[in-house]
Amino acid sequence: MDFYFGLIQLIGVHTLLGLSAYIVLLTGQVSLAQAAFYAIGAYVSGMLTVLAEWHIVPALAVGGLAGAAAACAVGFPALRVKGLMLVIATLAFGEGVRIFFFNFDYQIAKGDIKVGPLGGEGFRQIRFFPENGWTTFDVMLFIWLFVVLVMALLWWFDRSRYGAVLRAVGEDEVAAQSVGVNLTAVKVSAMTVGGAIAGIAGCLYAHYTTHIEHASFNVLVATFAIAYPIVGGLQSVFGTLAAVVFVQGFLVEGLRELGDWRNLLFGALIVLAMNLRPQGLFWRRGA
Amino acid sequence: MLADLLQNTLDGLAAGASYAPVALGFALIFGVLRRANLSYGPAIMLGCYAAALAHGRFPGLGLGALAAIALLAAVLAGAYVERLCFAPHRRGSAVAAMVASFALWMQLEEIATLMLPRHVVAFPALYEGEPLAIAGLVLRVEALAAIATAAAVCALLAAILYRSRFGLAVRALVAAPLAAELSGIRPARVFFLVFALASAIGGTAGFLVAATDAQITPMMGLWLTFKGLLATMLGGLGSLPGAVAGALVLGLVEAHAQWFLGPQLRDFVVYLLLFSLLAAAPRWMRTPSPS
Repeated sequence: MDFYFGLIQLIGVHTLLGLSAYIVLLTGQVSLAQAAFYAIGAYVSGMLTVLAEWHIVPALAVGGLAGAAAACAVGFPALRVKGLMLVIATLAFGEGVRIFFFNFDYQIAKGDIKVGPLGGEGFRQIRFFPENGWTTFDVMLFIWLFVVLVMALLWWFDRSRYGAVLRAVGEDEVAAQSVGVNLTAVKVSAMTVGGAIAGIAGCLYAHYTTHIEHASFNVLVATFAIAYPIVGGLQSVFGTLAAVVFVQGFLVEGLRELGDWRNLLFGALIVLAMNLRPQGLFWRRGA
Repeated sequence: MLADLLQNTLDGLAAGASYAPVALGFALIFGVLRRANLSYGPAIMLGCYAAALAHGRFPGLGLGALAAIALLAAVLAGAYVERLCFAPHRRGSAVAAMVASFALWMQLEEIATLMLPRHVVAFPALYEGEPLAIAGLVLRVEALAAIATAAAVCALLAAILYRSRFGLAVRALVAAPLAAELSGIRPARVFFLVFALASAIGGTAGFLVAATDAQITPMMGLWLTFKGLLATMLGGLGSLPGAVAGALVLGLVEAHAQWFLGPQLRDFVVYLLLFSLLAAAPRWMRTPSPS
């Protein structure tokens, strides 16, 4: 049973990661920096619970804020460019952050072992959940509480004036600007919200795996983050959730039996999905 | 100190020369299709794996035959990527094409590991003798080969683009797609051939890189895509002379950063430079100039 709880935890964290890219994509921007905000949230909150012995909830809040602050700081300079140049600028930022954590040491002695991030070896022993007696099921519920909260928030955004403005910028920047939409404010705010979501996802990820390292935040993760909402479609937040279930639940876990051949089918199915439904699996005309 | 600087500059130019054809192929695809091909490097990597497989099965094959195999396999893999990721999205979403090419990247890496399951695979070395020593500086013979190849590829590409009917069709499609189509140029066919040409250029470059290192790993695909992207971006999107200049700058920056700051910070410096340049967005990077 723990296997399924673990899978549901993974799907929850990846849904948050996908949603962090979803809100940025709504404004028509492709960001490969989501893995960096995810990493920042993971390291910051991990250091708070392990080194400063905070409770998970304030650590999660600070992790989300750190992700949001980083995203806001990247947002201003990065949004001067568009299209592929933005993809590369955010990719450069993401890889820069990953290399930073690859070289980042901050260890203190705790009992007879040393804890804290240690460069290429990663950050082990993020054991808040086991130390406080949380079961896998409790952790799963905790993660999904945030998935539901974030989905509800984004769902509400979609029905609000803010959501309409986001989509207007995504559809046609010039038209949006000509009716008085402040492009910078909209893009940077979407990026900041996305950064906060990625930071929260990173915190949850760090605490349920108990071990993070720079490779957990590479360009593959960043690409998955944007692939989920694109495969699922930008029409609603449920597209992203469905895409994560499709990719992580079906393609990765369901096809595990296929062993080495899994990635071949994985690639083929994504390509097929993109060719049959370029607007996303759950896109409906005129809805 | 001065000797170190000169040596680093020389090494950087040599590395830049080996990146230049990679960047040219990438810039060619982006300049014509306006789509980023994440599977560009993995297709080349697969070509090199085919050559490594042939080298393992038939040790008698010479370097020329292996290079031909690598080139042909890279073109086939490139054609496969074009058919699946770019032909269906020619008028549609650029993001969908990018995600599809990401999915194929995973597929191509998997094919490579199925072909040769070990992580590091031996590759025939280009040259086994001592490096050349000129006035206290060391120059590898492989570097000379890389520079010669880069120059030859530039000349050949210029000849194709500016001296042939196909090149005229490519330039017409870039300058005025609708007018080109109305005058009888078939975009689907031209795009396919551009892809094949870019893969052939990339295959040549990839073969040289693999033969210089005398080994390949599946990571080579990602590495090639990154070097192509970075160099193309440094030189200004879609500009072919810019891609070559960007490749040389990338090689120089890497060589000096590695010497002064160490291998870890080398990549960091490159990404920092690229991010600051893009954020400052000088004019040559902002206005893509297809040529």
